[in-house]
Amino acid sequence: MSAKRSRGLPIAAHLALLVALVFATAFAVTLTIILALPPRPPDVMRSDQIVSDFVTGYRAAAETGRAPRSTRMRWAVRTGPPPVASLSAAAPVKAEIAQRLNLPPDKVALTGDFVRRDTLVFRVQRGHAEHIRQMEVHVATHITREKTAGAPDAPTPPAPPSPPVVVGAPPEPPVVFAPAPPNVTLLSGFTLAAELPNGRWLVMRQGRNDEEWGWILRAALIVGATLLALTALALWFARRLARPIQTFAAAVQAVGVDPKSGAVAEEGPRELRNAAGAVNAMAARLRALVADRTQTLATVAHDMRTPLMRLRLAAERSPPDQRERIAKEIAEMEALIASFIAFARDDPTSEKRVRLDLVALLQSVADDQAEAGRDVRLSSAESRLVIVGQPLGLKRLFTNLIDNAVKYGARADVALRRDGAEAVIDILDGGPGVPAGKREEVFKPFVRLHEHHGDGVSGAGLGLTAARSIARAHGGDVTIEETQQGGLVRVRLPIEEPIPAAR
Amino acid sequence: MPPDAPPRVLIVDDDATIREGLAEVFERSGFAAACAPNAAAMDKILAERGADLVILDLMMPGEDGLSAARRLAGRGWPPVIMLSALGDDADRIVGLEVGADDYMAKPCNPRELVARARAVLRRAREIDPVAARAETMRFAGFRLDLARRELTDPDGVLVSLSTGEFRLLRAFVERPQRVLTREQLLDLAFANDTDVFDRAVDVQVSRLRKKLERAGEGELIRTVRGEGYLFTAKPTPG
Repeated sequence: MSAKRSRGLPIAAHLALLVALVFATAFAVTLTIILALPPRPPDVMRSDQIVSDFVTGYRAAAETGRAPRSTRMRWAVRTGPPPVASLSAAAPVKAEIAQRLNLPPDKVALTGDFVRRDTLVFRVQRGHAEHIRQMEVHVATHITREKTAGAPDAPTPPAPPSPPVVVGAPPEPPVVFAPAPPNVTLLSGFTLAAELPNGRWLVMRQGRNDEEWGWILRAALIVGATLLALTALALWFARRLARPIQTFAAAVQAVGVDPKSGAVAEEGPRELRNAAGAVNAMAARLRALVADRTQTLATVAHDMRTPLMRLRLAAERSPPDQRERIAKEIAEMEALIASFIAFARDDPTSEKRVRLDLVALLQSVADDQAEAGRDVRLSSAESRLVIVGQPLGLKRLFTNLIDNAVKYGARADVALRRDGAEAVIDILDGGPGVPAGKREEVFKPFVRLHEHHGDGVSGAGLGLTAARSIARAHGGDVTIEETQQGGLVRVRLPIEEPIPAAR
Repeated sequence: MPPDAPPRVLIVDDDATIREGLAEVFERSGFAAACAPNAAAMDKILAERGADLVILDLMMPGEDGLSAARRLAGRGWPPVIMLSALGDDADRIVGLEVGADDYMAKPCNPRELVARARAVLRRAREIDPVAARAETMRFAGFRLDLARRELTDPDGVLVSLSTGEFRLLRAFVERPQRVLTREQLLDLAFANDTDVFDRAVDVQVSRLRKKLERAGEGELIRTVRGEGYLFTAKPTPG
């Protein structure tokens, strides 16, 4: 056992492994997607483009008084200027707009999250030619065009990059460095505003960057793929950890029910292996104990019954009237021995459970009793009532109770009915019943309500004890109930849910 | 065995008093009795002289009764009645499952033992040894476990039988498609009860019929007017 203890990691190590795996997986998935997909497209716009867009829009708004519509920019007309932070880099752009619109500089406002004058660098990766090329063309086109034209302030607003002039860009350029042209500022997240002739302000904001959708999708992909990978990992891990625990629980349950059932497999995390080893050792001790007990009981039975058998054979040589008396005494003694041994070896869990018809079972017990000349009657409200139970155990339960009823109450009227999910069996006798204060006490072993009245009525005081333990092993119970006349013992047993007749 | 010779019974028990007492009872009832104190002696006598029936004690020094019964059952002859100090239903089932023809618990009524011995001999003469040793029989979707005395219906639900019903059903199952008179059935199913009348057979048959009703393919036990009863199905072992 101790040799096996070294194998298998403790649960803490499993958990640490899981955490490490989670981080590694999350990182690997994220990294893979980032590297495999194109970079985020630039969210910058050229100042000359912004200026010409705004000038066109301003002129239109000055005429109509309404904000123009455009997808690239978001327009609005307000009562006052938007809050503006002073940005030194924005000053030339502001000045240019004021000049082109003939407005004093304080009637123009510009703010932006990102204003740069330096070089913009793109890294273009092999393998994503199409996507990258579009983006690269988008930015690089203007840059090159301006370089060749040498006119940073083109009077006409540059159209969206519909005629892509591919500038020395092979289908898969290795890396493109694109310097910003002179006199052009690159702006991002800007808000540009100017006062309209009617005193209201026209506000233009950068619109949504359509190129960004791909990037958003990619982010969603990263999150989704990571989640998926982690869920799969967690599931796999949980199952891996849970399976040996479930197997263990089932095996321990089986050993608890029957120590003779197979050993619990010593597998899984170290803690579980240790527990399984302990359970197996315990089961071995239980098996030895059960074997001891069985052997002892068999020896006791043999040693007590062999002399009785000798006596019984000796009685055969006696005159008939004596023989019958001796036989009766022997039978009584035998009944006592039988009840002791049955009680001592009683193991309500060992018999196999089967689906059985409770009505037929009660009928057979009652018939056997009636055939032995006892006053036993059965009435059943059901013609068939299927429960899951131990046929021999249940027969003994009802035989014990009917025996008691006949012994102390001269007769047994057995009634079976169904009460919801339970079968209720009432055994009514013709005796004085059990006083209210003693109705629990009589279920204790060796407790007899009626002290020996010498003739015929005897018993070890184990019948009710055994009956109750069998009923409880079936999920039911035996109780003594209040009644007008006689004694009433009630058995309740759970009923199996009706199964459609399977043929 | 000549038909008029007394049946030979071999009593195997380690207790000399019981051995001799039983031998005396059997001799008085018209049997020829021999005794053996253990399984080895039993084998010797069986090899030398043979026997028609063995009364076998369960707990003996040396080879125990269960193992000896299993060997005899494997041979198919002679039939065995186990006589045991273990009297539980579970013990009885174990005894019958290893192939004993009957099982009685000590202390028993010696005359009942003789009556059972007669019944076993009669059954052994009449029934094909293979069928007699079969542990279970199947008919019309039912399964009858002869050792456990359990009847399982076509739905797989155990239908308990009283002792009388079981003996009656076994008599039918072992003698299928044959008219059995009330006298025969009394003899086969109520061997030990002297005060049972023809009428009781009718009562038992009607109870048994009720328990077999679920077969749904007509009467399994048919009344033959003026003669007796007939088991209509053809049971198969297993």
